[in-house]
Amino acid sequence: MTLHRPRRPARTAAAIGLILTSAAAFAGCGGAEGADGGDTTLRVAIFGDFGYEKLYDQFEAEHPGVKIVETSEGDLGKYNTALTQKIAAGSAPGDVVAIEEGQVVNFLASADKFVNFQDHGSNDRKDQWLPWKYEQATTADGTDTIGLGTDVGGMAMCYRRDLFERAGLPTDRTEVAALWPTWEEFTKVGEQFQEGIGTDDVHFIDSATNTYNSILMQSADETYFDPDGELVIESNPAVKEAWDTALGMSEAGISARLKSFSTEWTAGFKSGSFATVACPAWMTNNIKENTGAEGEGLWDITTVPGGGGNWGGSFLAVPTSSDHQDLAVELVDFLTSAEGQLGAFEATGNLPSNPTLYDTPELQQATNPYFNDAPTGQLFVAGARNLQPVYLGAKNQPVRDAVENAMRSVENGDTSPADGWDAAVEDAEKAAG
Amino acid sequence: MTTATAPPARRGSRAGARGTRGEQVAGYAFISPFFLVFAVFGLFPLLFTFWVSLHDWDLLGTRSWVGLGNYTALLEDEDFWNALVNTLGIFVLSTVPQLLVALALAQLLNQRLRARTLWRMGVLLPNITSIAAVGIIFTLLFARDFGLVNWLLGHVGVDPITWQEHRWSSWLAISTMVDWRWTGYNALIFLAALQAVPRELYEAAQIDGASPVSQFRHITVPMLRPTIVFATLVATIGGIQLFTEPLLFNSGANAITGGTTRQFQTLTMYLYEQAFTGQEFGYASTVAWMMFLVILVVAVVNALLLRRLRGVA
Amino acid sequence: MTAQLERVEPAVVRRPEAPAPARPRRRLGVSPTVVVLALVTVVSAFPLYFMLVMASRPNGDITSVPPPLTPGGELWTNLERVLSNADVGFGRAVLNSLLVSGVATVCVVLFSCLAGFAFAKLRFVGRQPLLGFVLLTMMVPVQLGLIPLYMLMTKLHLVGTLPAVTLPFVVSGFGVFLMRQFVVQAVPDELLEAARLDGASILQTFWYVVLPVLRPAAAVLALLTFMERWNDFLWPYLVLDLDHPTVQTALSRLAGGYYTDQALVMAGTLLGVLPLLAVFLLFGRQIVGGIMEGGIKS
Repeated sequence: MTLHRPRRPARTAAAIGLILTSAAAFAGCGGAEGADGGDTTLRVAIFGDFGYEKLYDQFEAEHPGVKIVETSEGDLGKYNTALTQKIAAGSAPGDVVAIEEGQVVNFLASADKFVNFQDHGSNDRKDQWLPWKYEQATTADGTDTIGLGTDVGGMAMCYRRDLFERAGLPTDRTEVAALWPTWEEFTKVGEQFQEGIGTDDVHFIDSATNTYNSILMQSADETYFDPDGELVIESNPAVKEAWDTALGMSEAGISARLKSFSTEWTAGFKSGSFATVACPAWMTNNIKENTGAEGEGLWDITTVPGGGGNWGGSFLAVPTSSDHQDLAVELVDFLTSAEGQLGAFEATGNLPSNPTLYDTPELQQATNPYFNDAPTGQLFVAGARNLQPVYLGAKNQPVRDAVENAMRSVENGDTSPADGWDAAVEDAEKAAG
Repeated sequence: MTTATAPPARRGSRAGARGTRGEQVAGYAFISPFFLVFAVFGLFPLLFTFWVSLHDWDLLGTRSWVGLGNYTALLEDEDFWNALVNTLGIFVLSTVPQLLVALALAQLLNQRLRARTLWRMGVLLPNITSIAAVGIIFTLLFARDFGLVNWLLGHVGVDPITWQEHRWSSWLAISTMVDWRWTGYNALIFLAALQAVPRELYEAAQIDGASPVSQFRHITVPMLRPTIVFATLVATIGGIQLFTEPLLFNSGANAITGGTTRQFQTLTMYLYEQAFTGQEFGYASTVAWMMFLVILVVAVVNALLLRRLRGVA
Repeated sequence: MTAQLERVEPAVVRRPEAPAPARPRRRLGVSPTVVVLALVTVVSAFPLYFMLVMASRPNGDITSVPPPLTPGGELWTNLERVLSNADVGFGRAVLNSLLVSGVATVCVVLFSCLAGFAFAKLRFVGRQPLLGFVLLTMMVPVQLGLIPLYMLMTKLHLVGTLPAVTLPFVVSGFGVFLMRQFVVQAVPDELLEAARLDGASILQTFWYVVLPVLRPAAAVLALLTFMERWNDFLWPYLVLDLDHPTVQTALSRLAGGYYTDQALVMAGTLLGVLPLLAVFLLFGRQIVGGIMEGGIKS
C-alpha cells in the first residue's frame, strides 16, 4: 500500500467547510420553522383522556383561525416529571396544561408561573365548582387561583359479575351494595368470595394499596399533612386505620397483590385475576380499555363501602410562558364550564366538579353500557355528594409512595406488619424533608 | 487548520517531547470543536448543577444557601448508601461477564467466515431496539403470572418468582437486561480494534502451533489493551449511571423507588426521585456530584487493576 | 508500508512463548464457531422477533399463558393503524430523525477522528490534562443536566426546534476517546513519518493516511452514534414540540391515554427500527471491509 498522492488541502478544507456550513444552515432553518402563518395554535397538554375532542371542535368553530392541538401522556408520573421540569425551567408543555390533584399544591409554590384566574373574574363564578375544589388550586392567602377544576374522583366500587356468580355471591348491584356498607363487611364478603371461588388464580381485590388509598381518601379531611404543612402521619388515626384495614384484607388472603398500573395489574383485568377494583369515576374508562371489547357486560358498578369519597381529579392551568394567554384562559373557561364538564363526562365518564350539574337529567340518567348499563351518573354523584375536602400537602406524593412501598413489602411477606408501619413512618418523615 | 504544514523536524521519540509550532497549532485546532461545543452545552449545566448543590433549592419554590450542608447530609443518608451498594452490585454482576463474553465474541467474529456482515451485525440487534421496547419486552419476560422465564422455570419445578421482590432476583434480572443490550455493542468495539491487529500475527502463531486460547492470551489481549481499558471505562461510566433498565423493570406506580424496600434503586434513580418526586433540586444536584466522584474512584481502581493485569501477562 | 509494519510485528510475535501443542485443524462439518455465533444471533435477535410477534397479534394475546412465540395475523392491521394515525405523523418524524441523527453522526465522527488523532499523535502543550478533561466529561451524570440545558435552550430560543436535540450532541467524549485509543493502536508512527517525508501537511496526513486506517473504527462509531441519536427519548421528549417530532417522541404518542395498546406500540417500534436496519447495512459493509484484508497483503 502506498500513500495516495497528496492533493490540494483546499479540497479537504472545502469538504469540512461544507459539512459545517450545512450543519449551520440546518440549525438556522430549524430555528425559523417555528413561526406560524396567521393562524393561532393553542396547545393543550394533558395526561390520560379528558374527552375534549368535540369541545375543541366547538371552540374552533366559534373562534375562526384558532387551531387546538392536544398532547396526551399515558403515564401520569412521566407527565408530572416533564411538566415540573419545564415549569422549573421557565417554560411549559402547552398553552393550557392539566395539573393532577396530587401535584397542584406543588405548583402553588410557584404561582407566579401561572396565570391568576382571579384576574379573569373567576371569583365571580366560584359556585361553578365544589368549594374545596376551587380552594385546592388557590394560594393560602386566597388571592391567586392557578387552575380551574375539571373533574373529581367520586368513588364507587367496580366488580366482576361473572366471578361473583362463580363464587356464589349475588350479582345485582343493589344486593351487592347491601353486602358491604362498611370496609369490615367488605373484607368478610371477600373471605366468602375466596372460599366460594376455590382457586388461587382469582382474588377478591387487586391490591392492598389501592384499597388503602380509597379508605384513606374517604375517612378524613386531611391525610399525611395538616393544613399547616406538618406531617401528621402518626397523630392522624385515619392513616393507621386505613393501613390496618387494608392489610387485614391482605392477611385474609383475598388480595391478588398486584402493583397498580404495572403490566401484571393491567393484564389482570383481562385474565380476571381479581373481582373488585376501587373505582373513582376516571377508573371506569381504564377498566374498559384494559378488559377489552370482549369483556363488555362482565363488569358492574355499585357503591363503595364507607360511603363516597374522592380520589384524583384534575385542574386546567395557563402557564405565564404562553404566548396566547387570553385565548388560553378563554379555552379553560369553556372546558371547565358546566357545558364543558358535561361534554367530558359524556365522552369519558369523568365526574364533573360542578355541583350544579349533579341534579341535571344528563347526569341522573346516564348509564354505561360497558358496565351492564350501570347508572354511572347516579352512582358517582351519590359518591360525590359525600365528598370531603381532603388537604394533601406539597410532599403528598413522596410520602404516599413511601407508605405504599412499605405496605407492598408487608403484603409480599417481606416485612411484618409492625415493622412495615415503622418503616412507613420513618420513610414518610424522611420524604417530608 | 489548513495552514498547519508538516514540520521538517524529526518525529522520533514522542514521549514528553514538545511539538513544533505547526503541530501545536494543528493539535489545538483539531481538538477545538469538541471543547467549544462542550463549553456551551456541557460545562454550563455542570457548573450550574454544582451551584445548585450548595443550596436548599426547591424545584418550584424557594431557595437558600446551605454551603456544603447537602453534602454532609448525604453522607449520613441511608438511602444514598443503599443506592450506591445496588449500583455497584449490579455494575459488577453485569459488567464482568459482559466484557469477557464480548471479547470472546469479537475474537470469533474476526475469523474468516461466510456471511460475515450478517454475523457481525447480528450481535448488535439488541442495541438497535429502542430502550422502551426492550423495557416492555423484559417486563413481559419476567412477569410473575405470564412471563416466559417463570413459565420455563415452572417446567423444572420452580415456583413462580416475583422478580422485582427480592434483591438477588431483581439484580439478576436487571443484569441480564443490561448484558443482553450491551454485550454485542462492546463486541463490535473490540472487533474494530481486532481488525487493526495484523492477521499475519495469528497466522504465524498458528504455524507455531499456538492454540486459540493461547492466541487469545498472547496476541489478542495485549494488542487490545488500549481498547479494553477504554471499554472498561465506558462500561464503568454507563454502569454507574444505570437508570432506564431498572426503571422500566419496575413498571407501574412508584417506579422510581426501585422496589418496595429500594432493593434495586440505583444512584441515578435516587437522584431522579429526589429531584422530581421530592422536588429537592439542591439535594439531587449533590447526589449528581457525588456520583461523579464515585465514577472517578471506580475508574481509578479499574485503571490500577488493569495495570496489574498487564504486569501478570 | 508493508515493510514498516513488519518492523512492528516481531515485537509482538515474540510474545507467545507458550508452545501450545499442535492441533489438527477442523475441516469437516460445521465449525464450532458458527454454532456459537448462531446461538448468539438467536439470542440477540430475540427482542426484534418478539417485537414482531407482539406487533402481529391483538393486544390481548400478549399476556396469555404460555407466552405467544409465533407471529399472528394482525401485522398489517397494526402497522396501518400506526401509519394512519395523524397525531403520530410518522413520515415527518422519520425525516426529522434522519436529519438529526445524520448531522450528529457526521459531526461526531469527524470531530472525534480529528481530536482522537491530535490526542494520540500530535504534541502540544497540555495534551494529557486536556485528554483527562475529555474523560471527565464522560463521567457527568446526564439526567440532572436536563434542567440547566433546557434553560439554556430557552435563552437561545431553540426550544421546540431540531437544533435543540442536535447541537449538544455534535461532539462526544466517548467518540474522542474511542478514536484516540484506536489511533494509538492502529496508526504506527512510521506511517506518519513516511507521509511527512512525502511532504504532506498534517491535515493531508490526517485526511489521506490516518482517516483510511480509522475507517472500521469510524464506522463503528458512526453506527453507535446514529443508533443512540435515533433511539434517544428523554431529551427530545422534553425539548421538542409537536411540530418537530422525532421517531421516538412520535411513537410515544401511540401510548397516549391511560391505557397502552402494546400491540400498537410494538408495531410502531418495528416501523421505527426499519430505517435503522438500512443504516446498519450501510455501516456494516464498512466495518466488514476492514483495512487489513486489503491493505497488508499488497
